[in-house]
Amino acid sequence: MLSIEGLRVEVEGKEILKGLDLEVNAGEVHAIMGPNGSGKSTLAHVLAGREGYQISGGKLRYLGLDLQELEIEERAHAGIFLAMQYPVELPGVNNMIFLREALNAIRRARGEPEIDALGFMKQVRDKARELNLDEKLLKRSVNAGFSGGEKKRNEVLQMAMLAPKLAILDETDSGLDIDALRIVADGVNLLRSPERALILVTHYQRLLDYIQPDRVHVLAAGRIVRSGGRELALELEEKGYGWLSEEAAA
Amino acid sequence: MNHSLLDASAEAERYIGGLDSRAGDWLAERRRSAVLGIQQLGLPDRRQERWRYSGIDGLLDGNFSADWESTDNPLPPLESVMPDGTQAGLLVFVDGSFQAELSFVNDTGIQFTSLRAAMAKGDRKVLAALGSLSGTGRHAFSAINLATMQDGAVISVSPGKSIDQPIELLHIATAAAGGRMLRPRHLITLDKGSQASIVERHLCLDADGYFNNVVSEILLQEDARLDHQRVQLEGSQAYHLSEVHVQLGARANYRAINAAVGARWSRTEINGGFLAAGANLDLEGLYLAGDGQLVDFHLDVVHGVSGCSSRSNFKGIVYGQGRAVFDGRILVERQAQQSDAHLTNANLMLSRGSEVDTKPQLEILADDVKCSHGTTVGQLDPQAVFYLRSRGLSPSQARRLLCLGFASEILEGFGNVSLRGQLADHIQRRVESIDLENV
Ligand SMILES: Nc1ncnc2c1ncn2[C@@H]1O[C@H](COP(=O)(O)OP(=O)(O)O)[C@@H](O)[C@H]1O
Ligand SMILES: [Mg+2]
Repeated sequence: MLSIEGLRVEVEGKEILKGLDLEVNAGEVHAIMGPNGSGKSTLAHVLAGREGYQISGGKLRYLGLDLQELEIEERAHAGIFLAMQYPVELPGVNNMIFLREALNAIRRARGEPEIDALGFMKQVRDKARELNLDEKLLKRSVNAGFSGGEKKRNEVLQMAMLAPKLAILDETDSGLDIDALRIVADGVNLLRSPERALILVTHYQRLLDYIQPDRVHVLAAGRIVRSGGRELALELEEKGYGWLSEEAAA
Repeated sequence: MNHSLLDASAEAERYIGGLDSRAGDWLAERRRSAVLGIQQLGLPDRRQERWRYSGIDGLLDGNFSADWESTDNPLPPLESVMPDGTQAGLLVFVDGSFQAELSFVNDTGIQFTSLRAAMAKGDRKVLAALGSLSGTGRHAFSAINLATMQDGAVISVSPGKSIDQPIELLHIATAAAGGRMLRPRHLITLDKGSQASIVERHLCLDADGYFNNVVSEILLQEDARLDHQRVQLEGSQAYHLSEVHVQLGARANYRAINAAVGARWSRTEINGGFLAAGANLDLEGLYLAGDGQLVDFHLDVVHGVSGCSSRSNFKGIVYGQGRAVFDGRILVERQAQQSDAHLTNANLMLSRGSEVDTKPQLEILADDVKCSHGTTVGQLDPQAVFYLRSRGLSPSQARRLLCLGFASEILEGFGNVSLRGQLADHIQRRVESIDLENV
């Protein structure tokens, strides 16, 4: 589904990703871990098409498409979703209206009929309930004045509504208490299916107690320095990242 | 310049002469002295601080004539612009003239007469009140209105009455207005302890260039409360000048929410003053200026007595080659202790070619006051645009949502649902269709 080869990315002239390889197939859940500043969010943003990142080398293929050819919204239409580490506050933009317009934009782009207001309301209410997200937040401005946890759950709500093929969750677990983490994980698990792939960017192994990954990768100094199964996450938990960075440098 | 002034005076004289021989107008004297005002006050000039950012060349080039009446024209079909919802009164003005057959008032708390009827009858109270708040004005255009006022609404609300439904003043410019100056003038009085809400809408029904030169005088007596929702949605070739003069008695409340989105050139001047303590003036506004458009708001709020408060909050969006001017002047005089005056203006610029000139001026001569002001001029937040696009929205959809979000604080203040909807639709349509190259 997603194939990244030798990806090199610069931000303001500084190379952040230095030849990154990653292969993700439909139905798989991949976890990307790594120290702060190693380039995890950079990778997530580049996949979503955010401006300001200079791709200086490598290939990005998604469902047979060259991702670099696609505009930000075209990637969303093609099924890519990024739950952001720092969701943006949009004062004055109603959460429900925003979500409905987003859903309909994606449906239109795929040649599907738009969802009617009532059908949408019911769906969004049900999903919000599953995520234990206060219904009042649906009527408020997108993320404006939301707590950290509410923002993260709002991201997961959007993901659940937009039903992406490839979802990238950038530290969706940070800032969540254990109950919220479980709820978010349940929401994510509901999305797991043979047609979908998930990339979980996380700092802590505890998220992986709830969402079992197929593969775990360590991103350090701009490259995947180690890949393995679930046990790698446990090893990281024990030893930290230091030994890997040293290995990478050596 | 002088030439057009002479023209304007001569035209006003002709108009007044015509009135004498027609229906009879008890105001001829007052009108004639206003003609002198046209010369004395002179045309606005960019050398004047109040007009520094707003040229009137286009307005003068239009040669809009004030020497005419619209009463004889058969009306085009107006159903498409009639408001929905229920009103306590609907007062329709077509090309500046009152249309009795399209209008109604169905609340016994409201006294209404058209200005033309009052003038013809020689209604003393009305004649005495006309111009009492505005004076002859600050510039020739005000004087032209006073000299040649066509018609208007004279409304008073009885003491202690609370009018629940809005009273709508609907202004429609039709093709007959092309090339002409409309001069409506409204006189609104809320008696002691009364409450009302007025919706004032300025629309256009396929008229070419015209000049709507409107003056409103509003007096709120003790404990009266008025909610005034004003929307300028004139035609794209129109010129629009609104002057509002409002005076507040003790503990009175005036809230005006203004939207200026239409017209090629528009200017709204709001003059507010207090007669006694405990009164509150609340001015809000929203403007939108795109290619070839100038939108201008001037506030003159004078705290001349102690213990009153004023709050002014205006927001605007400019794009293409659009231009906006905001000049908010709040004067707190020496004796006006315990005044509370706040002024904010926020602008969203969508293009490099657009321009915003914002000038908040707080002049505070008293020492025991609470005053603040703040102005911002910003662009769309690229992170917000990215966020929306990453959810599948196109750049123009993202821009539409963000602009509407920016405007929503003011939009939501329009209690009249039909008005709010009309405005929101207009703004969304405009900002979504901005040419991307031109953003
Ligand atoms: N917009 C930016 N401008 C400048 N430097 C940036 C920007 N975004 C990221 N960086 C830098 O890139 C590196 C990787 O950041 P990031 O991808 O956010 O790491 P992570 O998500 O792994 O913590 C850091 O050194 C960070 O300072
Ligand atoms: Mg990060």
